[in-house]
Amino acid sequence: MERQEDGRDWAYRVDPYGFERPDDFDYASYEAFFSRYLVVLTRRAIKWSKLLKGNNSVQKSLKVKRYIRKGIPNEHRALVWMIVSGAQTNMEQNPGYYHRLLEGEKNDKLIEAIKTDMNRTFPDNVKFRKTADPCLQHALYNILVAYGHHNKAVGYCQGMNFIAGYLLLITKNEEESFWLLDALIGRILPDYYSPAMLGLKTDQEVLGELVKMKIPAVAELMERHGVMWTLVVSRWFICLFIDILPVETVLRIWDCLFYEGSKIIFRVALTLIHQHQAFILEATNFPDICEKFKQITKGAFVTECHSFMQKIFTDPGSLSMATINKLRETCREKLLSQG
Amino acid sequence: MSQEFQLKASDTDKGNETEVFKGRPSLSSSGEFYDLAFKVMLVGDSGVGKTCLLVRFKDGAFLAGSFISTVGIDFRNKVLTVDGVKVKLQIWDTAGQERFRSVTHAYYRDAHALLLLYDVTNKASFDNIQAWLTEIHEYAQQDVVLMLLGNKVDSAQDRVVKREDGEKLAKEYGVPFMETSAKSGLNVDLAFTAIAKELKHRSMKLPNEPKFKLHDYVKKEVRGSGCCRS
Repeated sequence: MERQEDGRDWAYRVDPYGFERPDDFDYASYEAFFSRYLVVLTRRAIKWSKLLKGNNSVQKSLKVKRYIRKGIPNEHRALVWMIVSGAQTNMEQNPGYYHRLLEGEKNDKLIEAIKTDMNRTFPDNVKFRKTADPCLQHALYNILVAYGHHNKAVGYCQGMNFIAGYLLLITKNEEESFWLLDALIGRILPDYYSPAMLGLKTDQEVLGELVKMKIPAVAELMERHGVMWTLVVSRWFICLFIDILPVETVLRIWDCLFYEGSKIIFRVALTLIHQHQAFILEATNFPDICEKFKQITKGAFVTECHSFMQKIFTDPGSLSMATINKLRETCREKLLSQG
Repeated sequence: MSQEFQLKASDTDKGNETEVFKGRPSLSSSGEFYDLAFKVMLVGDSGVGKTCLLVRFKDGAFLAGSFISTVGIDFRNKVLTVDGVKVKLQIWDTAGQERFRSVTHAYYRDAHALLLLYDVTNKASFDNIQAWLTEIHEYAQQDVVLMLLGNKVDSAQDRVVKREDGEKLAKEYGVPFMETSAKSGLNVDLAFTAIAKELKHRSMKLPNEPKFKLHDYVKKEVRGSGCCRS
């Protein structure tokens, strides 16, 4: 991670990804965390350089999975995401496809929907400002327009703007971002963004079932006060924790998401809830519960991304894909029968 | 046509049935005491200014270019005093994109009031009002308090929906109407206050109190968007 050490104020008010830090940003605790994390980053960078030595490629293996769980250094992040998600292969097999999408005929309604969100995607990021050079807004627009015409069943769904924006910040490349978006929406995530949003609704219910199994007191609290899961977690799923958790933590989660798939989202959600169980259980009414779910995504526990990522693999206990698939099946059926 | 929806906001006959989560007095989560609490929902197309309207009402602020698209659903509370009674409004802000409706319409059922917004600089958002009314008719309570708002009237040069068009549509469906600007603040407090008054009167009708007429109140209090009509 680059740090601008020139002592000018603005360098600290804007994070390395271009996001302005809030006025109440706790610089002291962040510096304390970051100086510790820097040691980890340096160690990981050396390991990754050795792994990628010469050929700039990775094969899926237990070692690579372990490496990814410990974080991909930012300089290799785009490359590794491209490879492990299959986006690289798709891009190579379809040369010129992305640009043809942009040149083709456009659906006016889709364009209108995307335009509505252009000024509403990361206004707090200096790279998305109209005055920025290059301004990422134009690239973002292209990716979303291309994607909407590529995957007509999905078109454009709010939330995709934030995801594509993050992809751009990491890859700094329109076409790569497009193929990574396709990997996420087309393969990794189960139908979150299509008009019926059935995959999203299903996964919210699946999380509810998992909480019932693993953190029953919280499930009982939600039930007692009639808080539907969708109310507190829909943004977690749709935005893949963007704007919910700190940027660095989101990227660490995405490292695993690209390699291990959508299961990671449940691990993160369960860890957040389990870790703050006592705190959540203090809530005595509906609005309190909602407020608690906002609070648990803030603070040192989530900022310290390295220890957080260790926690997500131990804290929720075992979570097999077989269990998730079974729950997905029963939850989907239940939703469909409710109409 | 105007009777198709039983959404006449001035109809207080069902007032006693209105389910209210009463506190006598209760403490809201922000630590403020209140006597009555109601749920209000903001609905309307994507980008019409629902979140901006809410933030303007809640915090009295409008920071141009600082808003992000609302994904999913969220709410904020505000306690206001209506005729000496503390009324807590729990205001639900929803994503406007059509596909999110299947996620959000589950909340219509519990709403005591709905503020339906369109953007006076966006014809499509106005044309969609009928579809929204159909949706509301299907999922909301029969006696829900409804108000139509034409937002963004500060952008006079970009206006494509005339005030008369909004008035006409509102009249057709028997709902109160006003034009608002989250940017300048025009009529924003009025919209929420009018709703709070109506809900308060419905739930605690005093024997000698004259019947509150939301339509008349709005007509009397509303301000025009022109510079000379204030």
